[in-house]
Amino acid sequence: MKRTFALPVVALAAITGLAACDTGGGGAQSAPVQKLSTGAAVSGEITFWHAYSAAGSEIKALEKTIIPNFEKLHPGVKIKPVQVPDADMHQKLVTASAAGSLPDVIRVDIVTVPELAKIGVLTPLDEAMPDFQDWAKKMYPGPLATNKYKDKYWGLPLDTNTKVVLYNQDALKSAGISSVPKTLEELKANAGKAGGGKFILAEGGSAAWQMLPYIWSNGGDMTDPGVTKASGYLNGPKSVAALQMLVDMYGQKTIPGNVLGGSGGTPTADGLAKGTYASIVDGPWTFPNLATSYPKFQAQTSPMYSGEGGSVSVVGGEDIVMTQQSKNKELAAEFIRYMLSPDAQKAMGHAGQLSAEADMASEMSAVEPYYAAYLEQLKTAKPRPATPQWAKIDDIFTKQAQLAFQGKQTVQQAMDAAAAQIDPLLAQG
Amino acid sequence: MAIDSVSATPAVAAPAPSRPCKPGRGGASRRPSHWWVPWAFAAPGLILFAMTTGYPLIRSLQISFYKWSVLPTQASTFIGADNYLRALGDAQFWTSLANAGVYLLMTVPATVAIGLFFAILLHAKIPGRTTFRVLFYIPVVTSWVVVSLLFKFLFTTDDGAINWFLTDFLHVTQQGVPWLEQRWTALIAVSVLGVWKNLGWCLVVFLAALGGVGEELYEAASLDGANAWHKFVNVTLPGIRGTLLFVTVLQVIGAFNVFPSVLLMTNGGPAGSTEVPLTYMYKQAFSFLDFGYGSAMSFILAIFIFVVSYLQFKFLGEKKEMVK
Repeated sequence: MKRTFALPVVALAAITGLAACDTGGGGAQSAPVQKLSTGAAVSGEITFWHAYSAAGSEIKALEKTIIPNFEKLHPGVKIKPVQVPDADMHQKLVTASAAGSLPDVIRVDIVTVPELAKIGVLTPLDEAMPDFQDWAKKMYPGPLATNKYKDKYWGLPLDTNTKVVLYNQDALKSAGISSVPKTLEELKANAGKAGGGKFILAEGGSAAWQMLPYIWSNGGDMTDPGVTKASGYLNGPKSVAALQMLVDMYGQKTIPGNVLGGSGGTPTADGLAKGTYASIVDGPWTFPNLATSYPKFQAQTSPMYSGEGGSVSVVGGEDIVMTQQSKNKELAAEFIRYMLSPDAQKAMGHAGQLSAEADMASEMSAVEPYYAAYLEQLKTAKPRPATPQWAKIDDIFTKQAQLAFQGKQTVQQAMDAAAAQIDPLLAQG
Repeated sequence: MAIDSVSATPAVAAPAPSRPCKPGRGGASRRPSHWWVPWAFAAPGLILFAMTTGYPLIRSLQISFYKWSVLPTQASTFIGADNYLRALGDAQFWTSLANAGVYLLMTVPATVAIGLFFAILLHAKIPGRTTFRVLFYIPVVTSWVVVSLLFKFLFTTDDGAINWFLTDFLHVTQQGVPWLEQRWTALIAVSVLGVWKNLGWCLVVFLAALGGVGEELYEAASLDGANAWHKFVNVTLPGIRGTLLFVTVLQVIGAFNVFPSVLLMTNGGPAGSTEVPLTYMYKQAFSFLDFGYGSAMSFILAIFIFVVSYLQFKFLGEKKEMVK
């Protein structure tokens, strides 16, 4: 009988042996960067991953206008767009990186660029594209900075955004608030006037994306300017006071439970349109989405509630990057150039995507009147700390903030613990 | 034809002694001489198993001892049992195990008891029996993702049907319950989905087992003057004890592996209070790229499930022997 076990044992040994063999590998993480040309003839096919929303008109702009126009300019080339839902994008990028099945070009959330650069799957555009500086010069400095990791630029800003206060005039009026609060103090003072299942403000979660505008506007911060430590910043008095205000409001039931993660309550934009929430803090994409779902409702804009630090919102948006493994980098570069061209930027502007190119500002305001409020807010908006550890840091912050909202820890305790967990991550670089 | 086959038979039926591999009548004691023949038959299945289960299993065991780098071109560092020690000291991992335990207690007894109850009802010859069986089985074949999202909407705080029922219909509470925003209520919501989804499977397995309990046993019990309850306790339960064990063990394993419902309904929140082992290890691997840590946790969970299943077989299984 012993002999009959030989086969599986050998197979097992072969498998383990195999597995052991490709562990480790060399430390050499990046091949020499291929120098690309400009104006060269391009051919072939590339794949483009994006998370453009199907709810508004973004996908339509991409697939019906931008890509056909590019293909017309370069006969014989083909761009294959693949929509990956925003929530799945990070995971999909990770698994595709491991499997070596990334596409050629990706529209990626600005916070993910350092992480992808660190694992070595991106082409440094400043080294590969001879015209990189020409493009970089056009960009607002905030969005451009999100592409930088270890002194190289790994992408270019494709679109940018920030959040402003959106309010429902009727909801404010019926709560007896004559005009929208301008400062954090006014917000707090008027908070109790809503009630009866209505709220003066709703936030869809307690991640950095939601909380940082309050912290910054109150004069606090998450890390030092060099992004090397959180202690003394995230748990500093001004950051803690900003969160304390929101935690108090949640305790007094003047902001709804969405702030605990958004799985239970009416989504913020829906609540705004219905008048359940008098104000929310949200981005330009809210307008086309509201126009589809609530055509009769018109949201009003106001700058982020200001405090000691001014009116400071958070920079969002996406960068466009080229992967290391792309087999057709010339075409990939040409497509990136087209995505940044006035034609494509304008087409996306109509769909709710704000250009990160400074010379497009006046055209953008002409496209949609509500862009003016965002362009104004962008002047003071800050990006979240650029670090490859961002996903983990944001998770720690979100969890600790939730503990404070639930009253399980004081805000000071929660932020002390968050800073203590974040410091060693930042030290890893 | 008949003559042909008769004449041909002796030649075939009289194999030379040197060819013993032909399985003959009464050759049960003989071993086939080619040891590889049974393996050849099993090979397609074994190869598939090795590729889809065996290799990933061994590979993730290996990963669990490394600070694993996502890219094959970058070096991974061997760190011994560090990932395992880290998990044992990770309060969030223990919380997630505790939540799986709570989910188990809320779902397994209810699923088994209700499943058995309806199986007995549907075992009787009632009109529309097939229709009911199909209806009970529908939740089993529907997608976890779809029903998780549906249940999430049912349990929504502001517009959810459950809160509407509690506040506007039953009037038991003024304010809607924030089901998915607190630990225990969220676990209740997830458990309700678990019971609803798994009920049909238990029911079908129990139905099959009930069909195997001999009618004569019930007749004998009737002659002895047993009522319905006596028959259930003394005939039905002993008759399906093996199936009961099988269903319970699988449900317990399933409870520790609860995943899509938690991921989609609460995503482990708020503040990680509804995290279960699978959502937590998924986050470590796919959000934080910490595949080594995620793999280590998966092996700790596997050992845990193995021990629990072993204990179930030991304690519930022995009683079966005693009955015999």
